[in-house]
Amino acid sequence: SSNEHKSNFKKSKEACLSYIQDALLQKQWKRAAEFLSCYVESLEKDYSREHIGPSEMIWRIGTEILWHHSQSNMKEFNCFMEQMKTLGVKRYLKVCLEHVFHLLCNGQIDEAYQNLSLAESWRFGEQTAIQDKEMKLIQAYRGLLDYYSWSKQKSILLEHGEDGFSDLAVEREMHGYFRKAAVALKEIIKIPGVWDIFVKCYVDLLEFYGDHNEARQVLNEYAYNSKFPANPNAHVYLYQFLKRQGESKKSLVSALKILHDIVPSHELMIDFNTMLQKSKKRKKRRLGLEVIFAALDYAGWKENAKAWGCLARQVKQIVISEKHLDWIKQEWSSRKDWWPAFHFSRYLAKRNWQENKSLSYEKALVAGILLGKGCKYFKYVSHQGCKAQLKRFRMLKKFMNRHNLVYLRISG
Amino acid sequence: MEFPAALFPSYFGAGPPQEEGGPAPVAGWGEHGQVLEGGPGRRQVQPAFVPRRGAMSEKWETTDAAAVPVLLPSAGCWIPSPTPQDILYRSGLCRKLRAGKSGATLDFARQLGHFFVDHPEDAFGSLGRLLHKNFYLGNSKLKVIVTRNSTIRMTALVEDIDRLEARRGCPRQHLASRLRWFSHLCRDWLFEVPLGLLADCLHEELMQQWSNLLFDDSLTGGALAWLPREDGGTPVGCLVHPGGQAMNHLYFQDVVLEELPRTQGSPAQFELIGRVQQVAAARVDGQDFVGVRSDYHCGVWRVPSKRRAAPTPLQVIRTDVPASCLTVSPHLPGELSVCTQSGTVYLWSVETGLQQLRHDPQTMFFRDHSPWRWSDFTAHPRVLSCADRTGLQCLDARAPRRCHFDLFKVGEEAGCQQGERVVLPMYLGRAHPSQYLVTTQFSVYVLDERLPLVPVLKWAHMMKAPPLFAHLMPGKPGRSHNVLLGASRTQELLLLQYRDSFWGVSTGGSQSACQLAGTPQKLHSIAGCLQHLPTQLPHRHHLLQQRLAAPAAGLAATLQEDGPHKSMLIFQLSEAGDVFCQKLTHKAAQPPPPPSRDEATTAPGSSPLFEAPASSPQGLGTAALRYRRWLRAFSRACRESPRHTWPPSLSQRRLFTRRDLEGPAGPSSLQKQMRQRLRQTMEQGGRIQHWEPLALQPPPMPQTLEPAGGPDPLSVRLTAAWAGDWEQWWEERTSFSVAQRQRALRERRRRQKRAQGCRSLSASFTSSLTYQSELSELSDTGPPLLSPNRPPILSQESSLPPGSPPIHSPTTSAAPDEALLSSQSLRCRGIPKERRKTLRDYLSVWAEGPPEPPEPPGSQASQLCIPSSQSQLSSA
Repeated sequence: SSNEHKSNFKKSKEACLSYIQDALLQKQWKRAAEFLSCYVESLEKDYSREHIGPSEMIWRIGTEILWHHSQSNMKEFNCFMEQMKTLGVKRYLKVCLEHVFHLLCNGQIDEAYQNLSLAESWRFGEQTAIQDKEMKLIQAYRGLLDYYSWSKQKSILLEHGEDGFSDLAVEREMHGYFRKAAVALKEIIKIPGVWDIFVKCYVDLLEFYGDHNEARQVLNEYAYNSKFPANPNAHVYLYQFLKRQGESKKSLVSALKILHDIVPSHELMIDFNTMLQKSKKRKKRRLGLEVIFAALDYAGWKENAKAWGCLARQVKQIVISEKHLDWIKQEWSSRKDWWPAFHFSRYLAKRNWQENKSLSYEKALVAGILLGKGCKYFKYVSHQGCKAQLKRFRMLKKFMNRHNLVYLRISG
Repeated sequence: MEFPAALFPSYFGAGPPQEEGGPAPVAGWGEHGQVLEGGPGRRQVQPAFVPRRGAMSEKWETTDAAAVPVLLPSAGCWIPSPTPQDILYRSGLCRKLRAGKSGATLDFARQLGHFFVDHPEDAFGSLGRLLHKNFYLGNSKLKVIVTRNSTIRMTALVEDIDRLEARRGCPRQHLASRLRWFSHLCRDWLFEVPLGLLADCLHEELMQQWSNLLFDDSLTGGALAWLPREDGGTPVGCLVHPGGQAMNHLYFQDVVLEELPRTQGSPAQFELIGRVQQVAAARVDGQDFVGVRSDYHCGVWRVPSKRRAAPTPLQVIRTDVPASCLTVSPHLPGELSVCTQSGTVYLWSVETGLQQLRHDPQTMFFRDHSPWRWSDFTAHPRVLSCADRTGLQCLDARAPRRCHFDLFKVGEEAGCQQGERVVLPMYLGRAHPSQYLVTTQFSVYVLDERLPLVPVLKWAHMMKAPPLFAHLMPGKPGRSHNVLLGASRTQELLLLQYRDSFWGVSTGGSQSACQLAGTPQKLHSIAGCLQHLPTQLPHRHHLLQQRLAAPAAGLAATLQEDGPHKSMLIFQLSEAGDVFCQKLTHKAAQPPPPPSRDEATTAPGSSPLFEAPASSPQGLGTAALRYRRWLRAFSRACRESPRHTWPPSLSQRRLFTRRDLEGPAGPSSLQKQMRQRLRQTMEQGGRIQHWEPLALQPPPMPQTLEPAGGPDPLSVRLTAAWAGDWEQWWEERTSFSVAQRQRALRERRRRQKRAQGCRSLSASFTSSLTYQSELSELSDTGPPLLSPNRPPILSQESSLPPGSPPIHSPTTSAAPDEALLSSQSLRCRGIPKERRKTLRDYLSVWAEGPPEPPEPPGSQASQLCIPSSQSQLSSA
């Protein structure tokens, strides 16, 4: 009966699929390819109602095999992709996009550009929300490639410009690329998402043509629009833009302050701390101490000698000036129960000493101030340092002897 | 660690997941996802792009054809956990009825029945003791005797119950009214535990068992840990694993990594008071801290990293609600986080005790019924992540109410599918301090806590069961990290590689976004070794299969670097307590590529495992030797195992003494006759259609019954009935004195003996059980030969014509064996009356397929053959 036939067919289809899956997971590409050629039959009697139908499966499996199969080549891959595009209307754009990605990764930029332009002109009835998104991505990637062409022309032009010779045709072409890229890129970065590469290119275009207001607006939107994810890069781009524009310290600080609030462990925090330390305002120096303490809370900063140096310098300054010891006290109060075990254990003292002497110097200074010269870390490092007859460490010991009781005031 | 200068493009939406879906078998293949400018070169004429998925990866190859046992199987026998067949309705009819509906039907009644049978003392102890004198289970009717007047006969009820059992699953089964009446009467008082309460508890337990079978999350995290030990020469480590029959022993076993890992010395052993569900470990300041979770207890051990250092138990906590998670801090010594199923998260410090961070029985982002909670550490030692099935939140232990942020949400933010749920979160701190792994039943995500909600990597893992175990092996900076995912029920094991950075060009050489490298690789499961083992006897094969297919319970791995040679050792623990391992070698490190087993399909017993490699002087590989030893120990453990693994056998010794069952020596004449016929037919090459001695002869017409010695009682009765004075006949008959009747019967018996085979319908006269039993009681008083109660024989003889050759007419006297079932013979053997029926039924079961008498053509006689004393025929 037809029902029985259907169920038998379904069973063998599933069995075949599981063989393919097995072969793929064991990287047996030839075997998978053989099974796939049998599986193609499932297209003819497609009774399935699963959300991934056989045609999509064939596309996915076939692509994967062609990526890895020792005897496949780009020509075959392109041919396969063209066939897959005609297999399903719903997936046309997706397949196009993936094809383009593969071409891009293999350095075939021109072919990728052609494919993108072709896909862009594709129309089929009403677009679904997903197709709409895919179309926007296709346009954006096309815009990105236009941007690369633009920057290529730009560098040619700049080289020629140095010779005092300008080529009108090249310039016109370059403007053409600019227009095409700008339109496409502007479109996608309006939609909430992570568009780092597109934003950067678009801002670069705008800056080149002197449209700084537009660029600033785009970056502000990308960083502060609440519909966008809290992307640290958005703030970094804005900060870099402001820096390029030679903006005031104040606006730079406020940009970094926001970055500090969302990502206290960002690597720009060192710049931020140095900037704040130099400031004359007490409040800013206070913030600087907060920033560097917060950064050193994170495991990723544990062995960052630069950060420890920043902290050591600032703490030392405060101790010498004997002003604002309460700042350290405040920062220390929420950390004193776990920093000693986290940063200043004897085990770490040994390891830091072996691996990075300057790191252990900075850390020993901080440990001595925060915990007194009786603390394990300081004791070990200064002992080792004196044994090795390093001047720095002798000075450190002297300094600590002079400010022996600071730690009582800090922790008390 | 620096934040990548540019991330792969992606859309960001908010709200519940939009994408419909379900398990998709191939969803992880054939997609690059996105591309980003990057690549190894400096800025060239043309930009170079790298894909999010599909970059080059390291090549790892398994060295053996299957996973190899590390430990010998423990001596005690393993009790397999319940299977769906144990708790679901099995009836085919039921399945048919259910076909339209979804969901399974729990076999509640059977389990309740099991409880009553297995624990009668607990079920009806006191009332059973009170009532057992009043219940009579014999066959005969109860005589009303003064001493037993409060006794009722329960036999019929028991029979009803038996019949009910035979009709199980029948949709139209009606309870016998007697049963309904009885249960109505005693439901309220018979049971030791009130029935309603008991049923509730049992049902709850069954539901729990069933949901555990579908998905058992108590094992999340896995109960296996590998602690590398510092030692100059050979690489050593300590394997922490549970064992024992109830998995309540914790072992710290030193293992030397040679060609294959080898145990060294006897393990440090701790007996715990609960089944070990999870073993978590982390190394802080050169010491390993091992957290062990069972349902109501969590403990922490400290293991110094020196070789042969003894583990020290530090602290134990007890929880009222089962704990669902225990993780060890990688930052601070002696700090752990604990979650319970009531939705409470604690930070547990060995020094300062427990600190409650959150208590919320509700799930975080949307409602989900699962009480499972998880918690782990993050890049900040004071910030912990809390997870339930709907997502992850990070909270600051210093101000848990105020300071928190959402790290992952099952929703459009991460591009999840509908119905997707968090299965296992894991902090990837050893690879990258701010990265996190989250697995769901469909996908695996890598998150960066600096960019919450947006996964930096997503991939559909296509595993058949949700990955409950994960293990990270960090690579050197710039190299890819290896992540192992393991599922429990299906024992799947998947190796993924990802890179947290590549050399970005546009960024001037700073870190760039996270990439999935290469294709995932399926590794050997424990059960996969079965096909490589030597062929076993079927029952041994079955045992082995059951043992090897036990759900996985843990996963551990270690990377070894020995100069240019890099290898990876992966340990897998099963619920049966077996630890198997497999070794992968880095391909670049292997000069001659081993012959590819690409298309090879290995037949059982003829496996590369057991083929003698040329390099091995012993002739067999280490792996094969391991298997030998393991199999030997396994079969020894099986032999010691209790009887329940053998097929059940019936003992008849208790029912009857040997003397009871002793028949006469030598075959009976009927048997002889049959044997002869069989031999004859075989010689002729023919076949026997019916085991009927007379089948070859034309059956005689039933003769008009005119017995030589006067009319038989039936004829008399019928004649009387026709004549209309049947009542008188009855009167006459009943007024017979016992002596008269006996005399008459003896007379008839003699006649019958004279004219053998000349029998008649007389037998049908006594076809009722009660009458027969009365008569047999009667016959106790006098000589036992009573014609109507004539011992039953194969019924065909009743239609034997007189004068037929004796060889074809077996008689009562000539066939004592056949008469075994008769009342008399049983009585003669001293078997009490109550038991005779049981014995007959019992023997009839063993004598299956009784001979079928032929249908005589041209006669209306229909003959029955029931091997019981009441089976006198019915030919009319």
